[in-house]
Amino acid sequence: MQVTVKLVASFRLKWFKEATQDYPHGVEILDIVNEIGIPVNELGIVLINGHHASLKDKLQDGDTVSLMPLIGGG
Amino acid sequence: MIILGEKSKNDPSAVLYHRCTIDLDTQTITFEDLPCRNLEDVMGGFGRSFQVLAERKIENAYCRENPLIVNTGLLTGTSVMTGLRAYFSAYSPLKQSGKGLPAAMWSAGSGNFGNKLKWTGIDEVIFENCSRSPVYAVLREGELGPLVELIPADHLLGLSGHEKIMSLQKDYSNAHFAAIGPAGENYQSVYMGAVILSTDNQLKSGEPKNRFAGRGGMGSMMGYKNLLAIVAQSSDKPGKITPAMRDVNHDVLKNGGSARFQPVSQGGGGGTWANIEVLQAFHAVPMNNFRPKGNDDVEQQFRDHVEKDFEVVSEGCYRCGIRCHNNLFNRNPDGSRGPLAAKYDFEPLILFGSNLGLYDAAQTCELIHLCDQLGMDAISLGATLSYVLDYNERHPEKPLFNGATFGQFDAIRALMEETGRGEREEIGKGVKRLSEQLGETSYAVHVKGLELPAYLPETNPGYIFAIAGGHMSMGTHMLLAKEGKCSVEEWVQVITTQGLLQVGYDMLGLCKFVGVGMGHDLIVRATREATGLEFTSAEIVAAVRRAYLRGLALELRQGFEDAEYTLPAQIIDSPNPNVTLPNFITAEFIAQLKLRVWSVFLPEMEGLLPDLD
Repeated sequence: MQVTVKLVASFRLKWFKEATQDYPHGVEILDIVNEIGIPVNELGIVLINGHHASLKDKLQDGDTVSLMPLIGGG
Repeated sequence: MIILGEKSKNDPSAVLYHRCTIDLDTQTITFEDLPCRNLEDVMGGFGRSFQVLAERKIENAYCRENPLIVNTGLLTGTSVMTGLRAYFSAYSPLKQSGKGLPAAMWSAGSGNFGNKLKWTGIDEVIFENCSRSPVYAVLREGELGPLVELIPADHLLGLSGHEKIMSLQKDYSNAHFAAIGPAGENYQSVYMGAVILSTDNQLKSGEPKNRFAGRGGMGSMMGYKNLLAIVAQSSDKPGKITPAMRDVNHDVLKNGGSARFQPVSQGGGGGTWANIEVLQAFHAVPMNNFRPKGNDDVEQQFRDHVEKDFEVVSEGCYRCGIRCHNNLFNRNPDGSRGPLAAKYDFEPLILFGSNLGLYDAAQTCELIHLCDQLGMDAISLGATLSYVLDYNERHPEKPLFNGATFGQFDAIRALMEETGRGEREEIGKGVKRLSEQLGETSYAVHVKGLELPAYLPETNPGYIFAIAGGHMSMGTHMLLAKEGKCSVEEWVQVITTQGLLQVGYDMLGLCKFVGVGMGHDLIVRATREATGLEFTSAEIVAAVRRAYLRGLALELRQGFEDAEYTLPAQIIDSPNPNVTLPNFITAEFIAQLKLRVWSVFLPEMEGLLPDLD
């Protein structure tokens, strides 16, 4: 199945902005995070199709996952 | 501070703090060692200063009885990384209740002034009354204890804060400085004057790389008192770096909280600048007076776009490894680094950029630099200017001032300059007063008279209970984007437990960019290693909670009414469809939130303030 991954801010600068790839059915967001090499403790926001999600959520064909770093401060 | 060895290591009365009271009118100076009444006194910052303010009945900020309190936190001047903070507290000329009474306020800043103040041997300075002519105060260490002088300062009048500091540096070596700019001098028409703090980098390079205690008009209070600057002169006395302290600082540097503020080149998030990109993913970056348009214009302010025209250099405060300052330098024709353009932090770059309809980094830099030179709070000025532009767009037939509206750089710049010079008091007194005069309050972006920072009001109902203006005193500003929280239950929980603890950083002396929760093991260890005091996590959390609630109780005593605990009406009357985050704030939501939060807070607030009758 195909999943589009979008990376934001420092993740975009370090890895890529957007990529669509084939993944096996039942893949979890955490699997993709690990494959890219993003340290989990630097992950701030995870979205599936614009909605907040958790790392253990499973993906469906055609989903778009957005991964964003920790944010805060003023 | 003096810690009496014979007493328990977690007994606040075992800690004495050294107070200097300076009567600016009579030029009388007194020193005293005072025992701490509670852990808030020990932690310092606003936790102590608000207890002083609570002992006074003040009906007008510009009155002789309103003190200006300058103090430090328990960990300021220690070897704990980021322990640099200085605090300025008073009843605010800017934040005022509907009944016309000034609110207690504090403002905090880094740089190296706080350290130097602490190292003179003074923990707290109270400036009483007003000087009859312009002066600056010199606080210095002496062989037998701290020494204080008041020096005529007529020669500093009219200079920018940076110029005042560089002028004073010629006469005071080994010193750091707090100064005001023209805005603070024009305190009668500018209520948002900031205190400008020197940094090592500024003094060495001669470039205006200041830090600011901007919120609430503490610079205007200095101006009212005819106090143009404060000099803190001392040898450096950072504490010993023990192996345990090295571990603490390693954790400060490497924990997830601070990693996001470290330079991109070192694998960090690149400072608060990165927030823009995350918020833009939800079309939640303030544009045109906090009304995102749903387009991509703001991408012109993304870091990699700005780097095409400027060199971005990550720099830090004294001995701080986080290096969160993103300083933009112009490029010379040969590609080498040119002069400093501005410091490009999140709030000013949004509030003087997209929120004014400006997307050219060079123009934003110029406004940031001008605001800093004039010595105003970037948040209050930015939010008031955006209101003016919005008003003018709505009323093209009868615009205000020079008719400036969104994107008109030259006209906006003129308004800023005039405001800082005291020629636009309608702007200088903040957006609440201006909007009430004009009878159009719904799109004036403030809560309780303090302008909001660069996070949309519809994303943070925690603003309602922020006691010092926005996200810096209620750590809930990113929760919607981070976690999608939108039920009353979730917001009650987070405001009454985690969010309020943000103010603990304005007591201890550490920077909020340490990024760990108050009461966290790291805070407990840092306190123990730096001071020898053994306060538990639960004791620290309880003290921070009392300090916050005392601030809330002071608001009520100064006349803030239920109707003032709300958000700008526009977000309820006319929700912005361009923001892709959940739209959950309704009148009913706010009513329920307030009912439930007050039911938690009000019983705990009883007895926190002295009876003044």
